Amino acid sequence: MNGLKKKPIADDRLNRIIKYLAIALLALAVVFMAVQFSEVWSWIINAIRTVIVPVALAWLFALIMFPLIRYLEKKGIGPRGLSLGIVFLLTVGIIFAIFFFVTPFVVDEIKNFFTNDFQKIIDYLTGDLRDDFFLGPDLYDKIMEYINETDFFNTWLDEALPGLISRLSGVLLPLLTAVAILPILLIYYLRDYEMISDRVRSVIPQKHEKRMAELGSRLNQTVGAYLRGQLLLMLAIGTVATIVYKLIGLKYFFVFGVLVGVTNIIPYFGTIIAAVPPIIYSVIVGGAPGPLLVLAVNVVMQFIEGNIFQPVIMAHQLEMHPLIIIISILFFGSLFGTLGVIFASPIAASIRVFYHFFKEQRQLTELTEGPLGEGKT
Amino acid sequence: MMQGKKPKIYSEYEIRVILFYATMILALPNVLVLSYIFDFSSVLDIYRFMFWVAMVVLALTIAGTLILWLNRDHYKRRVKASYRGEFIYLLFQSAFGLLGIAVLYDYLGGSRQYIANVMIIVFAAFFYLLYTLGRKYFKFDYMKKR
Repeated sequence: MNGLKKKPIADDRLNRIIKYLAIALLALAVVFMAVQFSEVWSWIINAIRTVIVPVALAWLFALIMFPLIRYLEKKGIGPRGLSLGIVFLLTVGIIFAIFFFVTPFVVDEIKNFFTNDFQKIIDYLTGDLRDDFFLGPDLYDKIMEYINETDFFNTWLDEALPGLISRLSGVLLPLLTAVAILPILLIYYLRDYEMISDRVRSVIPQKHEKRMAELGSRLNQTVGAYLRGQLLLMLAIGTVATIVYKLIGLKYFFVFGVLVGVTNIIPYFGTIIAAVPPIIYSVIVGGAPGPLLVLAVNVVMQFIEGNIFQPVIMAHQLEMHPLIIIISILFFGSLFGTLGVIFASPIAASIRVFYHFFKEQRQLTELTEGPLGEGKT
Repeated sequence: MMQGKKPKIYSEYEIRVILFYATMILALPNVLVLSYIFDFSSVLDIYRFMFWVAMVVLALTIAGTLILWLNRDHYKRRVKASYRGEFIYLLFQSAFGLLGIAVLYDYLGGSRQYIANVMIIVFAAFFYLLYTLGRKYFKFDYMKKR
């Protein structure tokens, strides 16, 4: 009798295993077919990428700008054209103002660097570095001898440059196209924001429409909160770094400060990337702030940013374990390059939203229908 | 029966008063931060600039106090459970204010050797003030582990 009672459960498990096996086999078959027609796929993927980059950028910008439009409309500033116009002009104005006021300072500092300090750095690398080399002058001599004998740098440049140029043009051209199309896309997207959302929703089968709409809204909320918070943090930490660098008397404080702000978009690694150039500069050129002071300033700034500002601005919904963020940076970075590194955190946050959403749905189903769908008739 | 002390929820009036006076107190340091980055001192007399900024801030403080007093009843009727956004605003004001105080110290001829000491003391004071204000008025405890 007991054996008879257990049979339906065993059948159910077997059915499920067969189902998963069939899905896995089908997936493998699809991958195999895709590999066979890789050229066709690369055309299709290129075409999709051309469309996806500007659309994704428009979506990300919309996530930052749309709450402002909604806020203006709540305050009675409408119709949509007017509120959109105000927010759009404001955004363009801010971007233009940043470029207009910041660029001359950055250009001046870069020019100063090449006229005053660049030669010092070259002299150091070819001369004084030998005495300061951490593995000893003998090893330094051997390395230099090898480099000179094999003409290492020139060979490397000859080999890498054509590839680098073609890769750069491959990235730059679609990016420039995307930037050129972006304002037009953004205007239409923001004007018909609700209509587009409704159309997207209408594509989803009615059975799943409500759930998918909930998931979409959660994703928008999470990614939007991340982007707005990150932008605010970048601006704040960039400004703070510029002032602090100037206060401690670091030359080229503007370039180094902007670097801190820009690289702050990459969690954990950005801090290190931004701290290295001013430390190296203060080691090689010497002068007012020593490398230890520059390092201490960076550590303190990042401590305050990471422990006071970030938890307050990035709400609970974006809290993730550092290990997950680091793994996602490495993974998405290797998949999508620089863009992958920049957007690793919001992608990880989105995956977290997916995970929690489906977990909730499963729990809800279990509550209403029982653990194995016992409520089903 | 012993009852726990219920936390008081403050109205928008109290929050606006805190934000307004914090903004006004830190207005001069905040303006100085901008002037320091873009090196205003090289194109204009910084003491005269500071004096006029202080005068404008004083005028704004008087006008703002009047506006707040006139709208007192309106804002006292409005209450929120948490003032997160307002606290973030205060946090940024304080961060730049802290730097502005260091810049002010520099402009007033203080020795650069002691800038770090000044900043540490002001930072500690700001941190304590923000922590107390955040917990009591903004219902926002940033030391609390979630």
